Amino acid sequence: MQTALDGIKVLELCDRIAGPYCTKILADYGADVIKVETPGLGDPIRSVGPFPGDKPELETSGLFLYLNTNKKSITLNLKSPTGVKIFKNIVKLTDAVVENFSSRMMPSLELDYDTLKKINPKPVMTSISSFGQTGPYRDHKSTDLTVWALSGILYETGEPDREPLKIGSYETECVAGLYGVLAMLAALYYRDEAGIGQYVDVSAWEAFHTTQPYMVLLYSQLGVVKKRVGLHWPWGLLPCRDGYVGFFFGTQANWESLCALLGMPQLLDKPGYRSPLERDEHREEITSIIASWLKNRRVEEVFHAAQELRLPLTPAPDMSQIIDMPQHKARGCFVDIDHPVAGKLTYPGAPFKLSETPWRSGRAPLLGEHNQEIYCDRLGYSKRVLVSLREQGVI
Amino acid sequence: MSPLPLQNVRIVDVCQFLAGPFAVQLLATLGAEVIKIESIQRLDNLRLMGGYPQPDGYEWSAAFNTVNVNKYSLTLDLNHPRGKDIFKRLVKASDVVTNNFSSRVMENLALSYEVLREINPQIIMLSMPGYGTTGPWRNYVAMGPNIEMLAGTPMISGYPNGSPMLNGYIADPFASLAGAVAVMVALKHRQRTGKGQHIDLSHVEAITSFNAQPIMDYVMNRRIQPRRGNRHQSIAPRGVYRCMGDDEWVAIAVSSEEEWINLCNAIGNPSWTQEPRFSDAVARYSNHDALDKLIEAWPCQKDKHEVVQILQRAGVAAAPVLSCSELVRDPHLEQRGFIQEVTHPVTGTYRQHGFPVKFSDTPVRIRMPAPTLGQHNEYVLTKLLGLTTEELRQLAEEKVIGTKPLGWPYSEEVDEHDKKLLVGDQGSGVREALEKQRDIDEEETASS
Repeated sequence: MQTALDGIKVLELCDRIAGPYCTKILADYGADVIKVETPGLGDPIRSVGPFPGDKPELETSGLFLYLNTNKKSITLNLKSPTGVKIFKNIVKLTDAVVENFSSRMMPSLELDYDTLKKINPKPVMTSISSFGQTGPYRDHKSTDLTVWALSGILYETGEPDREPLKIGSYETECVAGLYGVLAMLAALYYRDEAGIGQYVDVSAWEAFHTTQPYMVLLYSQLGVVKKRVGLHWPWGLLPCRDGYVGFFFGTQANWESLCALLGMPQLLDKPGYRSPLERDEHREEITSIIASWLKNRRVEEVFHAAQELRLPLTPAPDMSQIIDMPQHKARGCFVDIDHPVAGKLTYPGAPFKLSETPWRSGRAPLLGEHNQEIYCDRLGYSKRVLVSLREQGVI
Repeated sequence: MSPLPLQNVRIVDVCQFLAGPFAVQLLATLGAEVIKIESIQRLDNLRLMGGYPQPDGYEWSAAFNTVNVNKYSLTLDLNHPRGKDIFKRLVKASDVVTNNFSSRVMENLALSYEVLREINPQIIMLSMPGYGTTGPWRNYVAMGPNIEMLAGTPMISGYPNGSPMLNGYIADPFASLAGAVAVMVALKHRQRTGKGQHIDLSHVEAITSFNAQPIMDYVMNRRIQPRRGNRHQSIAPRGVYRCMGDDEWVAIAVSSEEEWINLCNAIGNPSWTQEPRFSDAVARYSNHDALDKLIEAWPCQKDKHEVVQILQRAGVAAAPVLSCSELVRDPHLEQRGFIQEVTHPVTGTYRQHGFPVKFSDTPVRIRMPAPTLGQHNEYVLTKLLGLTTEELRQLAEEKVIGTKPLGWPYSEEVDEHDKKLLVGDQGSGVREALEKQRDIDEEETASS
């Protein structure tokens, strides 16, 4: 079966997470992605863990392996003029270029959009950066944590008497990467309708802010600034015998379901528990009733019983419990991918399923694995030229 | 008007709440003509969460008005044969159909992908219920925070040695992004081959991949990573430190040996920076608590913006923790035009965020505010489908279309003070309306 993005040629000049996540999605759905890496070192994420047995090795970073599936790796030194020339030759054969460096980098390499346009009449070029290509902070240094800080979301997350708290792994990077996919495909769609390529500028800060979509409107309309409140009542996140469950009982129907689940219909008429406002006032009491009921029960048992009652109660698994969840098993949420150095490992799979076009479960490339294929077979360099480029440190 | 990337795409949208509508809004902002379908029998529930108990209260939900810009609103009772007929005619004239119901609901309405494909063989259909359209949990209920939990996020989130923590609101928008990307992938495929298809998106699966790093660590090393607050997995120092003022903070994130030296220089090289316990990356990470205590003393008497200025000048990644009131007037975002002013026919003029991507040749922005209920009935039914005014009148009479919800119980205005109380710290808590939502839900269950 043909893939959805079959035939789209993408040139990736990215490192770390946001850019590679963007092109990973494209590659997994069929795009032909060439990843340009620095000779000898490769993408710096190759030296970031996890590693099997905690032994750092260029080819076995779990993060690199996940973020670069189905791509082709070539090495190229863009600090050498020959390297830049070769890069431009590849641009000629490309539909889209993706880069995620600071805003000064591409112009300094003379690889900015205007230059690329002279080489390829209608390329789509996507830049993913923390601040975007314009604005007073464009040269500021940044990480996932500082993007959280600027987004307005950090301020609202965590305990009221503690410092603001970021959650998760590297959400800001993934969000920027997904906006990159969306915008780049939209630009390619337009190119194929109107015959015009364009430059696409993704700001990770702005992108992450949109994941709390109504923050600005709420402030603008009512002056509301949300404060940190820890876990939002009436949400609960409590331990059972074998793991945590999370649940909500904000509506009257939810509360009735919860009382039924606990087998305590008397709570419905209990003074002080009758309305949501009254229940707010007895938070601690109610939480401790639920906690003591949950603590000797199993997650699986509580989950299905609650769902029978249409109560939004679900497991809150840790990483050891996620892969084997029955829903994931049934839908093939995780896939096994073999790799010549790292071996066979289980990876998170497709983020969505398309009925007619398959998602690909290929592996990440070794550093420079496709040098010969790209330089000789596609660009037509001879093996002798390749050897000499290697000797000069260009590849 | 300048061209838009998806200007030739039309989407019929029956999504509700947050995740689905926000996904479709991303496509609408990119230029797709989106016809959002609600009915006077059943509003998008997001109109109730954050709406006000007053006569036009369903037009006031900040959440609804944020995730439905650039869309047209059509009311249509899909349980009525004439409503269903109009829906099918719209599908025939469209490129994409989007929904976030469990598969049961579309099947009960006799509007499953198999049916719609018969009407329009090129149609793309996005289905994005919480758990996906197949598997043993497909009809189970989940709200945004459940999804965040099922992806494993809370168990790796929280203060070191503290309880698991969640944000609670961000899982829906993460799923939205994946949904918009999915439609875009399918559109690109259709553009080349002429073939439509069905997209099955599980929020849980889409978001689980965000945690690939701790998942791969478990797969490789059977390690369950600890909760480490704002810290990195191996680099120190990283943290959020208190500054001068009430609830003012700065995030400081060192990524390399060079940045560590820059940090030491910026804070005046106090003698502790030379101690062996901070001499290299590994040592600093294993003494992170002690290091944080010493660093804390530096920003605590300074303005957070001054701290950031000093550190950025020295070459250290640092940023102020911005509250929403600061974000909306931030000079960088202002220069980029990220925050836009929007005028809504009922709620007036307010600001909201725009699109986080700049296109050089097809700039995108908020072109229209979120629609009022049934605002575009006439446009859609007469201009697109060619119905007559007389037919529209009949449809209104039979309650297939309309602009006022049936049985809306509130007749009195709510004053400004009460509105703020209703919204509260969660921004979504019109409790009374939630109770009404339950009644509506029960009706829906009864009719489907």
